[in-house]
Amino acid sequence: MSESRNGQVIEVERVSKIFQTPKQGRVPALEEVTFDVPYGEFVTVVGPSGCGKSTLIKLIAGLIPFSSGRILYQGIEVRGLNTKVGYVPQESKLFPWLTLEENVAFGLDPRRYSRRERESRVQHFIKLAGLIGFERHYPSQLSGGMAKRASIIRSLVYDPAVILMDEPFGPLDAQTRMILQDELLKIWEQKRQTILFVTHDLVEAVALADRVIIMSHRPGRITDIMKVPMSRPRNIFEIHRQPGFDEAYGRLWNIFRHELKIQAGQESLSTA
Amino acid sequence: MAEPEKAGVVEKAPLYWRRTLWVNLLRAGIVGGFFLLWEVASGRWIEPFIISSPSRIWASLLDNLQSGSLIEHTLVTFKEIGIGFPLGALSGVAMGYWFGRSRTLAEVFEPIIIALYGVPRTALAPLFIVWLGIGIWSKVGVVFLLTFFLNFFNTYAGMKQMDQEYVDLARLMGARGWKLTFRVILPAVSPYILTGVKTSIPFSVIGAIVGEFIAATEGIGFFIRLSAGVFRTADVFVGIIVLMLLVILMNKIADLIERRVLAWQVQTEHVRIQG
Repeated sequence: MSESRNGQVIEVERVSKIFQTPKQGRVPALEEVTFDVPYGEFVTVVGPSGCGKSTLIKLIAGLIPFSSGRILYQGIEVRGLNTKVGYVPQESKLFPWLTLEENVAFGLDPRRYSRRERESRVQHFIKLAGLIGFERHYPSQLSGGMAKRASIIRSLVYDPAVILMDEPFGPLDAQTRMILQDELLKIWEQKRQTILFVTHDLVEAVALADRVIIMSHRPGRITDIMKVPMSRPRNIFEIHRQPGFDEAYGRLWNIFRHELKIQAGQESLSTA
Repeated sequence: MAEPEKAGVVEKAPLYWRRTLWVNLLRAGIVGGFFLLWEVASGRWIEPFIISSPSRIWASLLDNLQSGSLIEHTLVTFKEIGIGFPLGALSGVAMGYWFGRSRTLAEVFEPIIIALYGVPRTALAPLFIVWLGIGIWSKVGVVFLLTFFLNFFNTYAGMKQMDQEYVDLARLMGARGWKLTFRVILPAVSPYILTGVKTSIPFSVIGAIVGEFIAATEGIGFFIRLSAGVFRTADVFVGIIVLMLLVILMNKIADLIERRVLAWQVQTEHVRIQG
């Protein structure tokens, strides 16, 4: 891995994205977005729906071209598909025609890993995700939470420097969500890959992150970038009691309140 | 939690085989009744040379099998389908795949293909006789044509509705070329491909028979036309039975393949609309 000069794995410089739609013409999705992510940091991107946070992740993955600006990945400009990232989409999107095992092994290039290495890696991550016994199952036979775990380890198994996660826990119920957040942090603690994690959930954004990038309504701009001064490892299930959480959450909410133009004390009225 | 689940199992198990038995009995009764009526009607109410009768058809079937001519005719038709069908299906799927991958190709050729599709393809059968003679190759051509379009349209429809995110994910994970095609794209459209293959089975038989009706010296279509020409109605029915068996056999093979290829799909129960 060639580290760039200043230890940043992702450098986004004044990136804008304008969508051309036949009905509405030019729709700006992102405007002059600039930020860096150093190696090994867990960064969450939070913002209201439609703020272009998913678009941002797709730009870094090279899935869609951007309109202006520059994105450096490991010091090299992203042009076209960025096959060096791991990508976890909103829905699990396991390939339904492959078994769990085959899904997890999909990204392991046979030219880079020997057969034995591939098998042991797959086995290691399946164990880590608590999916032992389901190796031969097809995705249609897995629960939502299991499919989500599989989707996450599928992106971890080939050791990408950065994993992009697009609201991966969005469609899950509250309990499963918490369990998976906890598991994600535990897996992450082992290797500390760089994670860029998009969410619309403020608690999730604070609980997981070293740093939170806050985005505004469309067109998406970065309103603020906030450090989360909480120690690790964190206990997701009692995150509210952990020192530093309240303060970080309060600050985040303040920024959002400002964004949503809600006066202090009127939250319940305006949201009802 | 545990109780209703248990109750459901107890209730369902005996019902299942009883229902299967019922369905089979009902079916056997209807088919048997039909044959009985046919046998009785023939000669009494309707001339046997018009409708023949099950017993006459059976006798004729044994006759034709003994003389070996039926097997010969069957083999010829089988050969025509055996060559034309796989070729048509494969090129249809391949073409549908390429149209799905290349926007330019699709934009240029789609109107042409649709115009060609508008031509009743059996109307082209005489042309094939002119081009390829009265041997098996003209029939292979007709079978090919009928099979090709159905497979092409189904595969192409599958390609158009495919989930872009699967392809994106696969490419992000480094899949290209062979792997992208055979591990991702074709499996994703495989339900469509199999629908195309299965719907084209009876049409491939139609193609062979139509070709043989027009000009041939052998084959089941030839046998049927010849027999009808001299009012050997029982032989006509024998030919039809052979064709039915042929289609059933091909369907069975297609089912076997489908079950293997689509093992990953969730089996859905019969939809209930009422009650």
